[in-house]
Amino acid sequence: MSMWSQETQNRAKEIISRYPEKRSAVMPLLYLAMAEEGHLTDEGMEEVADWVDLTPAQVRSVASFYTMYKRERTGQYLVSCCTSISCMLLGGDDVLHAIEDESGVPHGETDAEGLLSVEHVECIGACGGAVAVQVNYELIEGVTPEKARELVRWLKKARPESVNTDEMQELFGGVKSFDWGIKEEDAAVGPYPAFQPLGTIKSAGDS
Amino acid sequence: MSEPVTIKVDGKEFEVRPGELLIKAAEDHGTYIPRFCWHNRMKPVGMCRMCLVEVDTGRGPMMVTACTNEVVDGMTVDTQNEAVQKAQEAVLEFLLANHPLDCPVCDKGGECPLQDQAMAYGPGESRFVEIKRTFEKPIPISELVLLDRERCILCARCTRFSEEISGDPLIEFQDRGNKTEVNTFPDHPFSSYFSGNTVQICPVGALTAKPYRFRARPWDLHMVESSSFFDTAHPRLSIHVSQNEILRLVGIDSEPVNHSWLSDKDRFGFEHVRSENRLDTPLVRRGGELEPVSWSEALDMVGNRLGLIVEESGGDSIAVIGGASGTNEDAYALSRFARTVLQTNNVDATMGEGPSAHFLAASIDRGLIADVDDADTVLVWGPDLKETHPTLYLRVRRAAQELGVNLVVIHPRVTGLDDRATATLRYRPGGGHELLSDLSDGSHEQVTSLISGKVVAIVGQASLADDPGLAESVAAFVREKAGTPRIIPLANRANIYGALDMGLAPDLLPGRVAYGPEAAPEPWGEIPAKRGLDTPGMLDALSEEKIRAVLLVGADPVGNSHEPELASDALDLAEYVVSIDTFLNDSNHYADVILPAAGFSEKDGTITNLEGRVQKVNKIIPAPGQGRPDWSILDDLSTVMGKSMGLGSPETIAKEVAAVAPAYQGISWDLLEWDARDGAVVPLDGEQPLTHIPVRAKGTKAPSAELLLHQGRVMYDDGVRLRNCHYLSRLAPGPVAHIHPDEAKRLGAREGVAVRVVTSKGEGEFAARIDEGTPEGVVFVPLHQPGAARLGTDPVVRVTVVT
Ligand code: SF4
Ligand code: FES
Ligand code: FES
Repeated sequence: MSMWSQETQNRAKEIISRYPEKRSAVMPLLYLAMAEEGHLTDEGMEEVADWVDLTPAQVRSVASFYTMYKRERTGQYLVSCCTSISCMLLGGDDVLHAIEDESGVPHGETDAEGLLSVEHVECIGACGGAVAVQVNYELIEGVTPEKARELVRWLKKARPESVNTDEMQELFGGVKSFDWGIKEEDAAVGPYPAFQPLGTIKSAGDS
Repeated sequence: MSEPVTIKVDGKEFEVRPGELLIKAAEDHGTYIPRFCWHNRMKPVGMCRMCLVEVDTGRGPMMVTACTNEVVDGMTVDTQNEAVQKAQEAVLEFLLANHPLDCPVCDKGGECPLQDQAMAYGPGESRFVEIKRTFEKPIPISELVLLDRERCILCARCTRFSEEISGDPLIEFQDRGNKTEVNTFPDHPFSSYFSGNTVQICPVGALTAKPYRFRARPWDLHMVESSSFFDTAHPRLSIHVSQNEILRLVGIDSEPVNHSWLSDKDRFGFEHVRSENRLDTPLVRRGGELEPVSWSEALDMVGNRLGLIVEESGGDSIAVIGGASGTNEDAYALSRFARTVLQTNNVDATMGEGPSAHFLAASIDRGLIADVDDADTVLVWGPDLKETHPTLYLRVRRAAQELGVNLVVIHPRVTGLDDRATATLRYRPGGGHELLSDLSDGSHEQVTSLISGKVVAIVGQASLADDPGLAESVAAFVREKAGTPRIIPLANRANIYGALDMGLAPDLLPGRVAYGPEAAPEPWGEIPAKRGLDTPGMLDALSEEKIRAVLLVGADPVGNSHEPELASDALDLAEYVVSIDTFLNDSNHYADVILPAAGFSEKDGTITNLEGRVQKVNKIIPAPGQGRPDWSILDDLSTVMGKSMGLGSPETIAKEVAAVAPAYQGISWDLLEWDARDGAVVPLDGEQPLTHIPVRAKGTKAPSAELLLHQGRVMYDDGVRLRNCHYLSRLAPGPVAHIHPDEAKRLGAREGVAVRVVTSKGEGEFAARIDEGTPEGVVFVPLHQPGAARLGTDPVVRVTVVT
């Protein structure tokens, strides 16, 4: 018997139907399990195992390999600061410290309220726009320590239901690596990446 | 077959099969390339890099892993030049960066590939000064296996075994990078029937077996080759002994049989051998109590009494039950003793279970285990192989999973092979014959169409509710469909195939010969003409007081029976009961004399497995106390009774068998010890002295009750040997009843609650197991469980929740 909501179960079925083999759906389903409970629990992994015909040990093997599967309680906003080479050279560590200081949350942890989680990450592919920061995997480039503090204050105060890369770039970003010229409409409902089949997205049209 | 290719390894040229892995090709021609992760019986992964060699295929020398690269024509390989040595040193330096140097307290010390190869190929010193990683140690990953994670070198042998070979991937790598470890999921132990194999293949001391941990150093062990007595495929193994005690069994890679794998029952079941419950002295019942006596006293008593009964009432008044637990030599001695000394044909090693003796011993088109490898289709219509025939299970699983063989599984509930089956069919307990006639009438076309080409049919009794003749009918059906299929008829019980080959059935004589007074082997002289009784027949005759004396040889009709009262009432009526056994059993309650027998590892001889393969088993420890092999007890009895068989030794018996038993001509201990180390399939020339053509029987229909009982054997039960194993005895599921979730809802049962199961022949309380593998309308109860009530064979059943 599934412990998931009907909606999540429907999503799971839909995702599995896209693959010739059930086990191929293990990764998206791990996100579903995460979204269902806020983070990945043992029960969530067992549920995924049931859906894709793997053993829980195999599912946990996948889940524990990737850092984006959070097996600990994670805040509504996951703030990730890049400290890999490009960002480090342009002050990534200072930005990280600013975030930690302003939020009171050391990296790798979550505040008591469950609002903010802070982490430092390896290169997130925005080296041209260093220092890069993500909130719920929505990117902000050219971030300075001051702007990072503003970002944290904004998250705490405004508590947006979803976050959008363009909006945050406008408010807290600096030089961008590349401008596609297309407005990004979708916003992420965290702390997961915005992805339509997972239901972790808020589109412009949604009310 | 494609043309061989020529490769040059370290300057030596040789021809090899194209497509072969370099590491294997080199080894087969005498060049050992060091390795950790590669294993001959599993797919390569290239995890450890220890097998780096320099290869030139015309594009200049390149460093590659020998375990993942196939040979190609003209390849030159250097396995020990300077560059290779440097690479090997680097690999070892890295492997030892985290591996503890605790060899003096590690079970693997002295036989450790890492220890050995660090000596042979390592740099001798490490540049790493960092602190090594540590873990809580050891953690139990199952009831039998412990894991010391800091020793693990992440070769993935154990995890691949569990996924590729045994099909229960309950261990996997967890986490990543420097934190990677092997582990189970929390509260999902590695409860595989095959877990011990991971201990055997782990190239370091990370995985250890509880029964062996800290018991011995490898250089203190004596060893001898033998075969397991549990699985009727008789997987080959090596017995490791110290100070007259077996400490462990290690699987031997026998190509035709077990590819080095052993089930945990075959691997750890040796614990019963030194159980304190072993019989170690002859016992005589006096005033209701069993008292120890000397052998000469016991043999005189038994011989005189049996002699008197034969004289007064003739051989027909004697029953001989059992004989499947010993060697072929023991069985031959018993067969001859019964016919010539006791003058009776009432002999039966099958105990009245499973297919008929003729079908088991002499079925035409008898298949080999290895036949499943290149079959088009394997049909399994019999017990759940994973539970009852683990060696065959692994072989069939591999055929379906790795070799592209079609697999059809027909069984009343889900089996261990279903996840790899091309097609599965279920039937109601007792409804096998109905399904069979539907199949021959053309239903389930999709399934039956698979039964063509080269077919191997593995047949046996799937459910206690099945008519025992069903297996033979299935074989007949497959022969109609597929011409000349290979048929492997299944039975349980140690050396049952050997016992039947030695004539331990009322209608058989040694060497697969149909019984007849004129067919008696020459040294036997005259044998009784009257047809003998099988086990149920003998029990009936006992109840009618037509039989006066019973000789039980490793047999427990009461413990075995599904209606134990019938068997115990029958034995109670016997005037004289003699039992030759290794343990006291339920039937021995009625025994007047009990004689202690030697068992596994305590005697030399041969045994014959389910494909008719004869293998040599060896003695390495003495039997406890005064225990003796069956043959020598019987030989002495024959002397007391004035009809000395003069058997001499097991080897002279083996010679007599080869001389008088047609199917065993040419089989000698010499052959099995030298030229045929993997055993020899009898008859050596393929000419079957007796060929039994499977007959299609009518059979009955499944009763139309709403709920039917399916009883089948499982791996761990209350068998007397298992009961006396410290570790394995805890693994039996006990009295449980498997019910489908919807069925459970209807009954109001939840997981673990007590349910009362009632049949026409018995009733008892069982713990409910909610199980999607058991169809609705069926209750599955594992057979012979400790503390479980016997329910008889009638499948009509009522189940209620105990409130
Ligand atoms: S536990 Fe042993 S077999 Fe398993 S990965 Fe580690 S070293 Fe290899
Ligand atoms: S180094 Fe920060 S995004 Fe690449
Ligand atoms: S043996 Fe080749 S990489 Fe391990």
